Amino acid sequence: MALFKKKTTKDESYYMASQWTLMWRKLQKHQLAKVSLVILAILYIGALFADFFAPYGLEEFSALYKNTAPTKIYWKDEDGNFTRPYVYGLTKVNDRATFTVKITEDTSKKYYISFFTEGIEYKLFGVIPTNIHLYGLVDEEGNPARDHNGKALARINIFGADSTGACIYSRILFGGRVSLTIPFVSAAISFVLGILLGGISGYFGGIVDNVIQRIIEVLSAIPSIPLWMALSAAIPPDIPVSAMYLYITIILSFIGWTGLARVVRGKFISLRKEDYVTAARLAGVSDIKIITKHLVPGFLSYLIVNLTLGIPGSILGETSMSYLGLGMKAPATSWGVLLKETEDLISVAQCPWKMIPLIFVVITVLAFNFLGDGLRDAADPYK
Amino acid sequence: MSEMKPIIQVKNLCVNIKMDEGLLTPVRGVDFEIYPGETLGLVGESGCGKSLTSKAILAINDKKCQSTGEILFRDENDEIVDIIALEKASKRREFLGFRKAKPGEADKKTAIRRLRTIRGKQISMIFQEPMVAFSPMYTIGNQINEATLLHITKDPVASKQITLDMMKMVGIANAEKRYDQYPHEFSGGMLQRALISMALVCKPRLLIADEPTTALDVTIQAQILELMQELQKELGMAILFITHDLGTVAKMCDRVAVMYLGKIVETGTAKEIYKNPQHPYTKGLMGSVHKIGTLKQDKLFSIDGTVPLALNLQPGCGFYERCTERIEGVCDKIDPENVCLGGSHCVACHRCKKEAE
Amino acid sequence: MTDQQKHELILQVRNVSKVFSSKGVNVKAVTNVSFDVHKGETIGIVGESGCGKTTLGRCIVRAIEASNGEVIYKTLAGEEVNFLTLDKKQMKPVRKEIQMIFQDPYSSLDPRMTVLDIIGEPIKANYPKMPKAEREAMVKDIAAKVGLNTTYLMRYPHAFSGGQRQRIGIARALILKPQVIVCDEAVSALDVSIQAQIINLLKDLQREMELTYIFISHDLSVVEHISDKVGVMYLGKMVEFGETEKLFANPKHPYTEALLSAVPVADPEVEMDRIPLKGEIPNPANPPSGCYFHERCSYCTERCKTEVPELREVDGRMVACHRAEELSLRGFDYSTVE
Repeated sequence: MALFKKKTTKDESYYMASQWTLMWRKLQKHQLAKVSLVILAILYIGALFADFFAPYGLEEFSALYKNTAPTKIYWKDEDGNFTRPYVYGLTKVNDRATFTVKITEDTSKKYYISFFTEGIEYKLFGVIPTNIHLYGLVDEEGNPARDHNGKALARINIFGADSTGACIYSRILFGGRVSLTIPFVSAAISFVLGILLGGISGYFGGIVDNVIQRIIEVLSAIPSIPLWMALSAAIPPDIPVSAMYLYITIILSFIGWTGLARVVRGKFISLRKEDYVTAARLAGVSDIKIITKHLVPGFLSYLIVNLTLGIPGSILGETSMSYLGLGMKAPATSWGVLLKETEDLISVAQCPWKMIPLIFVVITVLAFNFLGDGLRDAADPYK
Repeated sequence: MSEMKPIIQVKNLCVNIKMDEGLLTPVRGVDFEIYPGETLGLVGESGCGKSLTSKAILAINDKKCQSTGEILFRDENDEIVDIIALEKASKRREFLGFRKAKPGEADKKTAIRRLRTIRGKQISMIFQEPMVAFSPMYTIGNQINEATLLHITKDPVASKQITLDMMKMVGIANAEKRYDQYPHEFSGGMLQRALISMALVCKPRLLIADEPTTALDVTIQAQILELMQELQKELGMAILFITHDLGTVAKMCDRVAVMYLGKIVETGTAKEIYKNPQHPYTKGLMGSVHKIGTLKQDKLFSIDGTVPLALNLQPGCGFYERCTERIEGVCDKIDPENVCLGGSHCVACHRCKKEAE
Repeated sequence: MTDQQKHELILQVRNVSKVFSSKGVNVKAVTNVSFDVHKGETIGIVGESGCGKTTLGRCIVRAIEASNGEVIYKTLAGEEVNFLTLDKKQMKPVRKEIQMIFQDPYSSLDPRMTVLDIIGEPIKANYPKMPKAEREAMVKDIAAKVGLNTTYLMRYPHAFSGGQRQRIGIARALILKPQVIVCDEAVSALDVSIQAQIINLLKDLQREMELTYIFISHDLSVVEHISDKVGVMYLGKMVEFGETEKLFANPKHPYTEALLSAVPVADPEVEMDRIPLKGEIPNPANPPSGCYFHERCSYCTERCKTEVPELREVDGRMVACHRAEELSLRGFDYSTVE
């Protein structure tokens, strides 16, 4: 992997290296950032191909599997010999002594774990129709463990099942689609607004600058959580939940650009005083060219750092909003929605596997923070 | 001066920095000694290792810099201490009583205490930028007084008096008023005076001046240089004067050591160095400066090329690539030895050695 | 160059002033500075920090706008124009004829551009239609002229040392074939041996390309070496202006005398006999009355305290001192030439 290739710094390629190459090299020296980058790549690939990696679709749940622990996988048969890994299905048993219904493993039939099995149909990238999943269960004849309606006869829930009986692992993957991408929507909006308004403010100065700065101050004084609550109440409930969430995010990012605009303005002002900008001006280079060729490339790397460090905030924001019931709502899935299951102590105590989505949130946030940290160190390779 | 004992003797001082790309050796075997009351000028261009040398003497280099060799300092009781050994002892990792001092090695705590009494009290330093040497949060008097309280007396009244006397001595008019002022209320020249008073308040035996006038204007520079000379006469301390400016060295120093790429290439009295430079680098350096009042040459003498980076250096003269008098096959293979040309004049150059023989 | 050409006036700086105002405080950085520049000359501007020499240089090239005054410039086309009042359209053809070399070889080159792009940028801006090959040929040509290895043009500035970077800066200033170059402390940030290389280069280029330099520096020995005429500035004003050797041998203004006496000569046998200056440089926001130098001057009279001395001609030199004729001041002794 080229990512881990070691390079000496003083060869000709170093001298001919552009800013981005230098940043990339410096980033590679930051071990944590490198690992984070790989982790994030895995998470995003997982979210992108969620249909494939997940054995079950979003609507596939089974009341039988409500709140069940991760499915036990057997490696040995009854005689103690190693065999293909298999699982048992579940069945309801009436306990005659206590008169309760118990759910136990149905040891009469084995279901084998198989890779690239057929499952529920989906469209890869929304176009290519297929029904192949990374793994699933098959019976002894190698047919998918489903009845003629396509309903699963037995399920393998490696992270256990939630209160609806859906596979938590599958839901994490699908939830990642929302939780990992929505922050980028708000980041993109902040990016454009921040550069535009910060740039105008920094370049023209004077009254324009003053007006924009005052607007920024007013906007940053608005508390975001109450605003979020109000918006989520105000938006009509008949639009789809994920669309509604997107709208709220967009509205909020119209407030969130202020910090970025300040950074841009500051960078603009300090870069404008650099000698090389004066030199370009003296050489007769036009204002537009100076902005696009000298100023914007000068602070672009800082912006990327700022954005990277801002994404964890958005992810956590989504998670906590959904947790509070203000953001996404089931049946739509996001990590926050998944965590909503852990609201009460009893469910955490009885079903600790419901905390697994939390691990994903923590890992993602840490990875973004470490990556941002590495990027910050690399942002100015000339020091 | 030969009957006098040197106040500090630096023997084969090396400073190494381990980097990803290899071993950086900014100081590679520096020897010199300074006698009481004299001024030694350490001259060289940026990156020659002169500042690291001075910091090694105070044992204040960065953690990643490792000094080896000997720095023998004669303290006020005529005892000789090796600063590098102390530094090593003070940095030794001791963990719950493991890795205790071996016999002959100083104990960690004693070493730290000893270093502290040497630093500031016996050896002190003036920095290049007086504006950043003071904290903007405290008054000037407060900051100078800190050293007095630490090293001389614990009595705040007596201490303040000593501080004020010192401030007057370095020519800060209206010292009582200035004592309570903050650094931003001082001009650059006045700040440098304050910095000097801070360095001298404990009457050190050795003063290290690292480019003390580079950031100052010519007229202020002249004032500060004169002040340092007067104070030296009065207090009798030795000065290690580090600079790249050949003009100030000529004014200030009794002896001069010229550094290039981490080594001293030529030492001698100021007169020997300026009137009869022997090393090709010294010659080049002298030729590069135009002296006002002399006939204008059309072209200044200049040394071609640039100072190489002291990374993974091979044996051989560091100046080889830029030298016009190099001997192929010798200068690029063998480290030149020091050759004495009579008096205190020594040169590290193969060509000079050949001629001397 | 014939003598007549050499004496052609190329730049007439007339009463240039620059006032910086912030929060109601006006600081006069440069006050009514005037001097003439002839073609092919080097004018040295010396003074201590805060004397306004850098501001003056930047006003002349219009890196900042002067508050007042004129810079009459004789263009290559032979017209006389006031460089400071040209509008954008008029400026376009003249802009390239007055260029600047900066002090800091690190901040004056955009680290994000290759050397080829940096040196070629002025060409791109002024001749946007020039084909790429032709532009690159020009860049190579000028790079070779300033002593850069032309095989390294695809490198970024971080691959170069301070001296080489300064050469890149010089190449960028020269590629448009300017007439006048303002060198703002062009060698101050460099090591002594590299300084000599750059000074020699500047002199060679001057001869070859018939350049006129305005050389701003605080280093008197460099200025003496390179300049034909020298202007001494104090607190935003020109106090003395004249031919280099005359000025250094026989200063007419007490400040020049004090400044010269403070220069340490690189010779341990020359005793420094400094003329002490009283006090410190006054705050430019609140300059003293009369002659700005009177508080520190040892020749001060009552007249100096009230009346502002004008820059006037004394013995073929411009001096701003009431007592210029009567005082006999000490300079460098040029008789003991080695």
